[in-house]
Amino acid sequence: MTTEELTALTVDKTVDARGTSCPGPLLAAKKAIGEIEKGQIMEVLSADEGTRRDIPKWCTKKGFEYLGTLEESGYFKIFLRK
Amino acid sequence: MANKKMTLALFSGSVDKLTAAGVILGGAAAEDMDVEIFVLLQAAFAFKKENAMTNERVAEITDKQDEFLASLKRLNAPHWTEAFRNAKEMTNVKIHICGFAGKVWHGEKLEDFIDLADDICGIGEYMSAAETSDINLFI
Repeated sequence: MTTEELTALTVDKTVDARGTSCPGPLLAAKKAIGEIEKGQIMEVLSADEGTRRDIPKWCTKKGFEYLGTLEESGYFKIFLRK
Repeated sequence: MANKKMTLALFSGSVDKLTAAGVILGGAAAEDMDVEIFVLLQAAFAFKKENAMTNERVAEITDKQDEFLASLKRLNAPHWTEAFRNAKEMTNVKIHICGFAGKVWHGEKLEDFIDLADDICGIGEYMSAAETSDINLFI
């Protein structure tokens, strides 16, 4: 997705994992994914550089759709669809 | 589809290597892997009830131990016992204490170890689990 498309997304769940280090954000995403329905969108906020690479791989393995990442000031917004 | 399996031969009783094991366990938990951990020699020391929270030894770069421990706090990294506990809550993790290792540290019974431990076993269990695992690590 483009930056504009990501920015315009309606997010169903936000996981703020900026206070944790690897693998904290990934585990926070794993916990939260069970709380949304198939087709819904989740964003993961992480200040961990590794997480922006881990989440797309995790999505591929678990059958979720990685939508893209926005780089904010000091953290990333990582979007996926269940 | 069956979950992938990981076995971990956990020898180290030092906080740096136990923390690394906790990070890897987190990765396994995120992917719903089935994990079997075999707690060997020095790791059994760290798993003793009286040692788990007080043991601050590091195995490598030992002259920087204080910096390492301070960094774990700065980064809000969970204690290794917490990382192990989180993984157990999120995926199927079994933790076996090697019977020989337990005796080395005067741990004869399961109750001598922190409640993360599931049982005391012999090396045959490790061999059987390792034979059929997708990932097998020694830390």
